[in-house]
Amino acid sequence: MFSSLVVQAILSGVTNGVIYALIGMGIAVIYKGSGVINAAQGEFSLIGAVVAVFAMKAAGFSYPIAFIAGAVFGILLGIVVDVVLVRPMVRRKADEDAFLLLTIGIAFAISAGVLFFAGRDYFTLPSIGSDGVAIVFDATIRYHAIWVIVACAAIVAALRFFYRKTSFGLAMMAASIDADGAATTGINVAAMRTATYGMGGLLGALAGLLVAPIVPISYYMGLVLTLKGFCAAMIGGLTNPMGAIVGGIILGLVESLAIVFIASAYKDVVAFSVLLVIMILVPQGILGRRGRKGG
Amino acid sequence: MRRPWLIVLVVVWALLPWVLGRHHVDLLVFAAIYTIAGLGVGLLLGHCGIVTLAQSVFYAMGAYASAIITVNLKLPASLGFVVGMIASGVIALALGWPVLRLTGFFLAVATLALAMIANALFFEWDWLTGGTVGIGAIPKLGLFGFVLDTPLTFYYFAWVVAAIAMLLVHNLVAGRTGLAMRGMRDSLDAARVLAIDVHGLRVTIFVVCAVLGGVSGSLFAHYTGYVSVASFTIDKAILFLLIPVLGGAASIPGVVVGALFITFVPELLSKLGDFHGIVFGLALIVVVIAAPHGIVGTIRQWRKRALDESTATPGEANK
Amino acid sequence: MARRWMGTPARALAVSAVCALFTTTLFTHTPSHAQQATGEPIKIGAILAITGPGAGLGVPTRNGVLLAEKAVNAAGGVRGRPIKVIIEDDASNPDNARTKANALVHNEKVVGLIGPSQVAQIVAAGAITDPLKLPHIVPAGLSVPVERDRKCVYHVLPPQDLNARALMEYAANAMKIKRVGVLHDSGYGNVVMGALKAISSSYPGIEFVAIEKFEIGATDVTTQAAKVRASNPEAVMVIATSGTPFRAVKQVRIEVPVIAAIGSSSYEYVKAMGESADNVIIPEFLVGEDPLPDQKAFVEMYRKEYNLTPKNFEAAGWDLVQFMVAALKATPADAKPAEICEWLRRPHKGVLADYDFRDADLTGMKLTSFVYSKLIKGQYTRLPFRVSK
Repeated sequence: MFSSLVVQAILSGVTNGVIYALIGMGIAVIYKGSGVINAAQGEFSLIGAVVAVFAMKAAGFSYPIAFIAGAVFGILLGIVVDVVLVRPMVRRKADEDAFLLLTIGIAFAISAGVLFFAGRDYFTLPSIGSDGVAIVFDATIRYHAIWVIVACAAIVAALRFFYRKTSFGLAMMAASIDADGAATTGINVAAMRTATYGMGGLLGALAGLLVAPIVPISYYMGLVLTLKGFCAAMIGGLTNPMGAIVGGIILGLVESLAIVFIASAYKDVVAFSVLLVIMILVPQGILGRRGRKGG
Repeated sequence: MRRPWLIVLVVVWALLPWVLGRHHVDLLVFAAIYTIAGLGVGLLLGHCGIVTLAQSVFYAMGAYASAIITVNLKLPASLGFVVGMIASGVIALALGWPVLRLTGFFLAVATLALAMIANALFFEWDWLTGGTVGIGAIPKLGLFGFVLDTPLTFYYFAWVVAAIAMLLVHNLVAGRTGLAMRGMRDSLDAARVLAIDVHGLRVTIFVVCAVLGGVSGSLFAHYTGYVSVASFTIDKAILFLLIPVLGGAASIPGVVVGALFITFVPELLSKLGDFHGIVFGLALIVVVIAAPHGIVGTIRQWRKRALDESTATPGEANK
Repeated sequence: MARRWMGTPARALAVSAVCALFTTTLFTHTPSHAQQATGEPIKIGAILAITGPGAGLGVPTRNGVLLAEKAVNAAGGVRGRPIKVIIEDDASNPDNARTKANALVHNEKVVGLIGPSQVAQIVAAGAITDPLKLPHIVPAGLSVPVERDRKCVYHVLPPQDLNARALMEYAANAMKIKRVGVLHDSGYGNVVMGALKAISSSYPGIEFVAIEKFEIGATDVTTQAAKVRASNPEAVMVIATSGTPFRAVKQVRIEVPVIAAIGSSSYEYVKAMGESADNVIIPEFLVGEDPLPDQKAFVEMYRKEYNLTPKNFEAAGWDLVQFMVAALKATPADAKPAEICEWLRRPHKGVLADYDFRDADLTGMKLTSFVYSKLIKGQYTRLPFRVSK
């Protein structure tokens, strides 16, 4: 009985960990591309999921179309955020804390907007595959969670390919590492940053779309998702979007094993303490390569 | 030159509660309480470039210290204030020492993590804090045999405490410490070269910020007579951060303006129902983009520009 | 939605007739006036959580309050004067609740206060009304010791120890089981859990084989649910204000019945529970799908107005206004607040339950007022079980 409990803790931990990882990857991509921590990443997920729900319920689109609509909306949101809000801030060379406050404001506005236009309901999407659960040693995992893990791995592979093998991805990296140098080689630095935010928006929306079948999404959840996603990215190493996967799964496992071996009430205390210790002792994160600013 | 303005301000301040309705006086009391907590956050943000989201923790510690000392232990209220300040300061020292090695985003997130941990513990340690149920029947403050049991009397008391806090912060900023802080904020390496103990200074200011939070929390506990976790959520931490951001982090009047903004504007917007959140979020975005030095900072810039234009000769216009 | 009521004169007349009939059945001692009330309105203050996390409580309560206001005015108001309920939103924040209470009591000079919706907010607002002995009725149960000393703050929902007893009654007397697991959140759930432990000696046959806590706003509690499952309970009590624990119970395949506290009984949470809204038993007061005979008129009227089925908080909102109005009618026009408060200290018959405000817990509700409902595939059905004492 006890061993099945541990198996359940591991399965739940991995499921939650992958969710955190999806948010964390978006945070890492935006950080890598623009040097900004996006406190509204969870809200991007919120928007992706809510748009898909409304595309299905109100506009009557099929699930795949609604899914694509949510993802496209995420890209557009990311682009708008950059062009309308981030660009003027970059132009006047704003500080890190100004960017943080800006994204906090964006998070507030999006969350309040979802509440106003979509209401305080909990939104869910249909599961990919079947609604049921797989049984492993008397413990359970949703079939959908397995699909989320697969999707997460595919996204990581795609990101890796994009940043290493495509000239667009390389140009994006160059623009973020040395803006002036990149500009002299003819890279449009501002456009690359816009593309980065578009990608961040896409990853955020995908996270929301993949999470909504497991966790019903409501207007207030952005902050929690952002925070857990940030922990995942931070533990894994912010400069490496793949790190978010490792970080997310570590965080998910720490949480669920804390429930089994410590006490369920201390789950968050343990998880955030681990985050603090890693931030202070291993500032690059587990998979981070270069030293980051500010650590 | 500034004196006449100060006298006018004091007169207006003294007469204000007699003109306003009771609930506006009530809001002004909260503005005073929030000013004290916001001063600490503004000190960190405006002079050290540190974003803290942990002020709700120290505000809560002050409030709980006062509640526990006066209700559970039946000891005098002044002891509650002292214990609250000491506890906030000691915890800030213990947490700040390791955490303040971080900077920028990472420090902000670390303080947020501290606030989340503290909030979980306030729920969990209900033998101490009362958890959701909280601690009630906190006695009213007495001053020289006079009970501060109405918003009016508390208004005068809270703003006097706030004024003392402002004066202390002003002296700190105007002195050598203030110079060192700004040096550290503007050029870390230069500050190190000048043999400024950067880490020590940051920790010291963090402790000052926490002590101000503790005083503010004690005042809150005695004013409302009841404390529970509902008053110490992450929302409160964000609120305390918004005070200096909106008003102007580097200026003391800015913090007062921010505190007034945060107490009165949501009240005015509350008729809009759920829409008021959107307005509030957009207002924050607009301030961050268009008025990076807050309301007071932007007004000062305008005034300075106007002054420069009228006095400067064309050749040496301000860059 | 509020303005639609006065659509056609014929409809208005029909509705006011129904209201008049209904108020007379509730308060037989007051004569009914079928004509519209005129003159300066009598102001009653209301503070509710219209926005923020508590809106799930505050919004339904507001609907009940507005319906009652209309019904009272259609039936002639109080001494020929209409009533006006001034509703303020505290945004689920105790500091706001305090400020709004000051505004209503001192600026608007309301004759009585209704709400707020949540514990900390109620205690904060009570600090304003208590020194004035202003009549004050709230849509929540007594939770904090200090509330016992506030003799003019009456409650129309049960204190937490009564909620706890209602859960235990079902386990002990309807299911006749011994092993109970509990899954509760760290806020509301923790308070009821404390009450459950305190009263457990009255139910010696029942043993708590697992007690698992999770934080408010948790998005996943499957590990906690698995721990409860591993203790082999015969029933699981879920005490929370979200759909999350119900989904977890379903996912880890807990097949024994779930007994949920009244806090999770709303259509909003049932929606969030999705397919897991099945085999869940709730001790509560109003099952709109199958109301008790003396609740039928209210449910009909509510349906006609909002095209929705009411639940507990809608009925609580209605009762709050009706009790306040009854007190205003029974006391002279120049009565002091303390006299109105004093008059309220008597038994009342509400839609939600029977009360006796003379009781030390300032509600006087009995276990016999509870009805038990069961969620079967997302639908509420009323169970035959009642506590008979």
